[in-house]
Amino acid sequence: MNKDELNTKVVSTWCPGCPNFMILEGVKRAIAAESTKDKKSEFAVVSGIGCHAKIFDYINLPGLNSLHGRVLPTCLGLKVGNPNLKVVGFSGDGDCYSEGISHLIHAARYNADFKYIVHNNQVFALTVGQPTATTEIGYKDGTTFPFGVKTMPLNPIKLMLASGATFVARVFSDINQVESVLKVAFNHKGFAFIEILQPCITFHPDIGYKEKTYLLENEKHDKSSLDAAMKKADEFDYNTAKKIPLGIFYQERKETLEEKYPQLVNLNKKSSSWKDINR
Amino acid sequence: MKINIIFGGKAGQGSNFLGVLLGKVAVKLGYYAFYYRDYQSLIRGGHNYNALTFSDQPVYSNETKIDLLVALDDNSIKIHEKNLKKDGYILKGNNKNTFFAGALFKILGIDMKILEDELKKLKRFEENMQYAKEGYASEKERFSIKKIKQTKDLKFINGTQGLAKGAIESGLDIYYAYPMTPATPVLGALAKKQVEGNYLVLELENEISVINAAVGSAMTGAKVMVGTSGGGFDLMSETISLCGMAEIPVVIYLAQRPGPGTGVPTYSLQCDLDVARHVGHGEFPRLVLAPGDPNEAYQLASEAFYFSQKYKIPSIVISDKHLAESIYTMDNKLKLKKSTKSTSLKKYTSYEHTTKGLTTEDPEDTIEGFKRRLKTTKDISEEANKFEMFKIHGNIKSKNLVLAWGSTKGAVLDAIKDLDCKFLQILYIEPFSREIKEHIEKAKNVLIIESNSTSQLSGLIAEKTGFIIQDKNKILKYDARPFYLAELREEIKKRLK
Repeated sequence: MNKDELNTKVVSTWCPGCPNFMILEGVKRAIAAESTKDKKSEFAVVSGIGCHAKIFDYINLPGLNSLHGRVLPTCLGLKVGNPNLKVVGFSGDGDCYSEGISHLIHAARYNADFKYIVHNNQVFALTVGQPTATTEIGYKDGTTFPFGVKTMPLNPIKLMLASGATFVARVFSDINQVESVLKVAFNHKGFAFIEILQPCITFHPDIGYKEKTYLLENEKHDKSSLDAAMKKADEFDYNTAKKIPLGIFYQERKETLEEKYPQLVNLNKKSSSWKDINR
Repeated sequence: MKINIIFGGKAGQGSNFLGVLLGKVAVKLGYYAFYYRDYQSLIRGGHNYNALTFSDQPVYSNETKIDLLVALDDNSIKIHEKNLKKDGYILKGNNKNTFFAGALFKILGIDMKILEDELKKLKRFEENMQYAKEGYASEKERFSIKKIKQTKDLKFINGTQGLAKGAIESGLDIYYAYPMTPATPVLGALAKKQVEGNYLVLELENEISVINAAVGSAMTGAKVMVGTSGGGFDLMSETISLCGMAEIPVVIYLAQRPGPGTGVPTYSLQCDLDVARHVGHGEFPRLVLAPGDPNEAYQLASEAFYFSQKYKIPSIVISDKHLAESIYTMDNKLKLKKSTKSTSLKKYTSYEHTTKGLTTEDPEDTIEGFKRRLKTTKDISEEANKFEMFKIHGNIKSKNLVLAWGSTKGAVLDAIKDLDCKFLQILYIEPFSREIKEHIEKAKNVLIIESNSTSQLSGLIAEKTGFIIQDKNKILKYDARPFYLAELREEIKKRLK
């Protein structure tokens, strides 16, 4: 598939200059490359509600623009409905870490083979700037939080490592970083968690994070070691930044959910889905 | 001829084992049996009891007065002795279940060979048979239950089995659920046969996940069902609304339990008719069906799949503990509506959208979206007229009309026997049959029988027909226990004209 085939005619309503444009471009490049590598592959995409979710309209692939917080169970359902599908889910930090957090822990535990991208701009942007679960202490949005955020943000990387996720990565909203991590994730059999640090140019601009980032691949980071991953995850608590590691923290091959049920294994072998079964 | 037996004991003692065993045997001998389970929300101890009624005539309810009390503990005697008939008998003591089974067969005068055949199906046959023989020798015959001539092919099944069989034979591909009484038995029944039946059963982390996974799978073309009770159904409501907007077919099994809140979780009421009709924000087409016995659960499950697939809508099949867990004697005449898979993977959205699936906020497109959904509602309504949307029982010419839905069916059928009464049982809640209005208008006296406190069916009737049922004609029971024959019959008789 040519990358341009993924374009739609829908006019984008992201703010001009929004890093979501770079995420979209990186995603399209990775999907186009994956479809060329595996010509039989069929893709499905799911998004939630929030600025991130508009990506659904800008990628010419089937799927669902779902409800707020419910991207993960929808992706699971798609994968169980057709184990041959390549499913990519998109969430925001509000969507995933606030509204739908319970699904995240269980998605890591189930280890169904789909890819999950969280656009973390540390703010509820589409509802004009309220803090989410990963907003730093002291953040003021001027309307609903005039006295500033008082609670510590969540560290999603640590949460994912602790929940048994088999692929845990974080990148910055940069075309090349998004493209390359998603390409690796497509080669990973199992649930892949990819967080993208994405400044919101309107409500939560970069507060000096980008310059503190560095790439794990340039270090001697052992991504097969959970201990090493946890240590790296501890370097950035989403509240104050000294160093922000980017790249793949952890990767492990574990049996996927689809490999555990003979009914799904059979569908996979025959390259078919439930739809093809006439009873 | 009719025999009423109570099996009482602490949870875990096995009163259910004895009751089901005897019910099965009674049906084998040609009788009609009805079996009700009364248990508390605990695993060991407390007081559980099971009521078995069997007769040479069809029977779908229990009586308060009992012929035989099988008491596995003293508490059971304390609680149930007052209901024992003058010539009733108490079988009590402290012994193995199979000992009691033997004793019971002797008391009832049933051939020991039949018990032997049943025990062969269990583990440790020799040991159990020994106990049974001792039990048999310990009592004397008090009833004489002999095989009777039965022309029909009868089976002893509960609503859960009916519904699960209906779902499987309708081509179920995936069942998602989170455990919640009294929907859980369907999860168990389906899970057991999933590999041989080549469908999948998954328990997920909560009901919200369950319904959203169902949406994901339904989008790929799979036939999907989910199951839950009131609280879980409430959690699913936002996504049921999404199904209405995105046009996604999902069948939802709603096994009611007495709410609000956690309510009386292991007992039975019909309080969720309104929430089934109105679940989800916004206005969208839906199907709501209410089977009244296991055969209807089978049939209506298939019709729920049919309408879901054809019109891409959520379909809700309402049950409750009384239907799901009581065991009925049913004939083998089952009706199944076949359905073909209609959905395929494309762009779906929870936003208002054009026919091409593109998100829109345009006023014209918004009106088109509403019109599309209104048309679907109308089309479903038209096609449903070809289905059995209600049933008429009793004296069809009577001017006394009784209206009821769901699991009260059995008690009403038994209670109106020989009374000048016509019983209209509503199977299709949404859409609602136009013909029901004609039946109401023809009647001189309209009664409603429901297991709830506000008579939700009266509200439905008023909305759909404009007919207001007088409060004095509402027979409502909300102690979370089923209607017993004598009490219901009295209540109906008082109101007949």
